[in-house]
Parts: sequence; C-alpha cells; structure tokens
Amino acid sequence: MRFRLLVLPLVALVFLPACRDAKITSYRVPHEMPEPMPPVLSGGVAPTTNASADMATMANTAVPTAAGDGLGWTAPAHWKTKPQSAMRKGSYAIAGDDGAEADMAVTAFPGDVGGDLANVNRWRGQIELPPINEAELGRTSQHLDFNGLHCTFVDFANPDSANPQRILGAIVPFEGATWFFKMMGPDALVAREKTAFLQFLQTVRPRASQP
Amino acid sequence: MNDTTRQFRDFFVSLKLTVVLLALSLILVFAATLDQVNLGIWAVQEKYFRSLFVLWHVGDIPIPVFPGGYLIGGLLLINLIAAHIYRFKFTWKKMGIQLAHAGLILLLIGELLTGLWQEDYQMRLVEGETKNYSESYRRDEFVLIDTTDPKFDEVVAIPVELLAKGGEIQHPKLPFRVVVKRYYPNAVLQLRAQNPSAPESLADKGVGPRLVTVPVQMTYKENERNWSTAFVELVGTEGSIGTWLVTAQLPTSQTFSYAGRTWRLGIRPERTYKPFSLQLLKVTHDVYLGTDIPKNFSSRVRLTTPDGREDREVLIYMNNPLRYAGLTFYQYQMDSEHATSVLQVVRNPSWLIPYISSGLITLGLLYQFVFHLAGFITRRRAA
Repeated sequence: MRFRLLVLPLVALVFLPACRDAKITSYRVPHEMPEPMPPVLSGGVAPTTNASADMATMANTAVPTAAGDGLGWTAPAHWKTKPQSAMRKGSYAIAGDDGAEADMAVTAFPGDVGGDLANVNRWRGQIELPPINEAELGRTSQHLDFNGLHCTFVDFANPDSANPQRILGAIVPFEGATWFFKMMGPDALVAREKTAFLQFLQTVRPRASQP
Repeated sequence: MNDTTRQFRDFFVSLKLTVVLLALSLILVFAATLDQVNLGIWAVQEKYFRSLFVLWHVGDIPIPVFPGGYLIGGLLLINLIAAHIYRFKFTWKKMGIQLAHAGLILLLIGELLTGLWQEDYQMRLVEGETKNYSESYRRDEFVLIDTTDPKFDEVVAIPVELLAKGGEIQHPKLPFRVVVKRYYPNAVLQLRAQNPSAPESLADKGVGPRLVTVPVQMTYKENERNWSTAFVELVGTEGSIGTWLVTAQLPTSQTFSYAGRTWRLGIRPERTYKPFSLQLLKVTHDVYLGTDIPKNFSSRVRLTTPDGREDREVLIYMNNPLRYAGLTFYQYQMDSEHATSVLQVVRNPSWLIPYISSGLITLGLLYQFVFHLAGFITRRRAA
C-alpha cells in the first residue's frame, strides 16, 4: 500500500509537463499607438528599391549580417552600384547601348527557399518561359565550385519574344541560407555580360575569409 | 503484497535501474551535445531534455527513438525515492548518504519545476520609453485589438500554436470567427512589385495583397528567430469580413471596422503584462580606454507602480540585476548608438532549489567523511 501511494503521485509528476497548453487570453490595457507600417506598404511611397529601405526589419530577416555572417564579392568596375535596398544584399545596374539597362541583384534567405527547381522556375516565369522539371534543370544548369562554395548556374533567354530578355542566375547555399545572384535584362546586353558575370562569381567568398 | 506488486517494487528499487538510467542519461547528454551544432541550445533543450521521448519525424509521424530527459529524470527520481524508502535504513552511520541522496532528489525535482515554471522574456526599451510588459524571445501571439475606446485597448491574444492547428477559432470577446487559411512557422516577405509573377496572395485586405510570402525552414539558431506568418479570414454573422496577412515581421497596425467598432490585428512576440512599469532613463556603455573592449553596460531605470507605492531609480548592470515582484531583470543587450537597452526578464520560482540541494549533498558527504574519519581515528587509538 505504501508503495502504491508513492508511485502514483510520482508518475503524475513525470507526466505533468505534457499538461502545458496554449490558451487564448483577453485583457484590457491603456490605449497604445502601434508602430506605423513601413511607408512602402502604407501607400505613402511607391515601391521602388529605395523606398523599401523602410522595410529594414524585413531585410534583416533574410540572413544575419550583424555578426559578420554572409558572402562578399568584388563587382566589375563598369557595374554601377545602386542604392542599398531592404531585400537586396547587393544591387547593380549594367548599362548597354541605346539606354538599355540590365539589373543585377544579390539576395539571401534562410533555408533552401523551396529548392533550386522552384527558384529557377520562378526566374523563368519572370521572362515568360514555361517551367521545367528536375531532369531538364539537370541538363540546362551548370555546377561551379569556387572559394569553398558550390553554385548552381543557369542561363535562360526568350529570344523569340517581342521583348527578348535573358537571366543569368547563380544559387549558392551557404551556412543554412541560400544566396541568389541574378542578372536580368535585354537578351543581347545580358549575353554580352555573361563572361563578366562568371568572373564576378569567382570573386564571391565567405566574408570571414576575405582578406 | 502479491508477486506482481513485489516485482514492480523490486524493479523501481533496483540498483540496476539506477545504473541503466545513468548510462542512458550519459548517451542522451552526448547525443544532445553533438546535435547542438545543428539545432542550437534552445532547441536541444526542448528536444532532448524537456521531453518524455526524443522524437524523429518520418514525414509527419513522430517516432520515439530514445527516452527524453523528463522520462529518464522522472524514473531516476522514482528510483531514488523508492530506494530511500525500501532499501535505506536510517542509522547515524548512514545519515550522510541519506542526506546526499535527499539533495539529489531535490535537484531532480528542482530541474523539473524550473522546466515547468521558468519564464524567460525580454524588455526592449529606448531611452525615455516606459513599458509595463515583457516579450517572449521565441513565442508569438496573434492579437485582435478593439481600439474603439480612446483610453483603453481590449486585447484578445491567441498563441500562434493555435493558428498552427488550423480550423476556426471563436472567443466570447470577438464578434467574429477567425478562420485560419494558411500558417507558416517561418516565412519571409517580398514586395510584389519586385516579384510580379508570384502567385496571387490569399489576402484581400490590409497590406497582404502587396506582399509575396515565401515560406522558409524553421531556424533554431540562437541569433535568429522564426517569423510566424498566417493568412486569417474573419467571418462575421453576415459572412466574410476579409482575409489578412499577419506576420511577426510587420507591426500590428493593420486596421478594420466591423459593427461600429475599430479593430487592429497582427502577430507580435507574446507579451506578459506586469503590475508595474519601467522607464529607461539612461544607457551607459563604457569601454576600456583606447579600445573597443566593453568594460561596463548599465541601464538606469525608474520603477513605478500605479498605486504610487514604488517610485525609485535602479541601476541595472552586469551581475547586478533588479529583483522585483518575483522577477529578475538582467542587463542583456545594449545598443548605445540608438540609446536602446534590452533587459532579460526571468521568473524562476524554484531558483533556490539547486542551492539548497547542493548544500544538502555537500553536508551529507562531509558528514559521511567526518563520521568515517572519526571512527578510523578511534579504532587506531584503541589499537
């Protein structure tokens, strides 16, 4: 009997942690003014890359940079640096003939962001190309290794379109995040920049190992 | 006592069980230490130590693969207490051992109570700001706030765990139902203008239609957080009021009107309100002369209660926390450039138990040693 009295409360004690549960609460507090929405979302400012600097909190969610994490690179001299934006780790404009311009963006997000195929198809959608499957991705992409990093490189164009566009893209997983290097713009201009883009990729390296 | 009961008792009293449990705990600590590289300390504690079983997920099915800390600790506790009652006989000669074991039992109970009761929050203050609440590091809540009264806000706070379950949520304070359309434990946002080919948003009200939600894997790193994100539809008696995107990445300032009342909604870190306020008066960040090496972080705060009984200034700095109302406020982080200080707010009603149990174990071992030493000296003299 003594034994039973002992065991029951102790077993109950062991299983007690399982009883924790999330509950809805309601209460009254003095009126509080919330932080305003970033202007880019509240409609005050057009959603240009400059304006999205207001979304600094969102930018910081991508990859922690405060602790010195991340990748660094050296951009070719003729790429014009664009102002920093919340979503971008790097942003450049490449000027072509007759006022044509290509956009080069470096972005980073935690995790694999849906995987290579989903992201490549997202890019293809941006230049009105149909999605491809895993096997086609394997055939059309290249794998590059540099500075201890592994990269999936793709080059897509829609030359038959009324407005031919091309995308050069590189997906680089690094420390649990995924970095995207994407150049997009007029087909001829981006094709001309391919060598510069590939040379640029060779300069991408972990910041910690930069001289 | 029948045979089954005796076998049951013998099992729990057995020294073999003690050895097996200690061996299992060694393996558990070893595996958890290795996994800390992947998960970080917080997730490791939850997965390995504050659980009955260590679970592996095959698809959506959790499979227990090893006993967790609560199970091993709980069985060890039963084993120790049972041994105390059935095996140990009280004699002055063995009193030290009894005391040391009692200390060990108390230590195990203390850890269990800490796991159950400890609350770990933070309070972020900018110089001049006053707050009467602290915020959770990792848990978020979905709030619907009736802001019609210019003096008071009526808050209904729904832990995001309930959003994760999906389905519908009703509450007597809400004149509408909350229907969870989609929930992501971690997601990042993009401006739709920057990604125009993304699928259409589930949201049709608020800022949601202007954003693209990208679900990402949950992070367990100490310096990162998960951004709980959901699409919620509010349904009143006349039908749908609308669907909103709510996320911990945005302030809780999306508003709407319903039945003559104004509401705002969003996801924010879970709050706990206090019966007192802290105002940050000044942050100080000293460095050693000629270097950037931190010498001292301190926050001067003013502690006040609504009834006026407390109104005093306190200096919080490293190893000198403020203890008030069962809470301990430690200096945690500081950003002196932006005059911001973050205090860690800890409630641990069982914080004294480890000290008491260590004292008991020390006393027991000391008693046992002195008792044996005295016996040895007496025998030697007699010889």
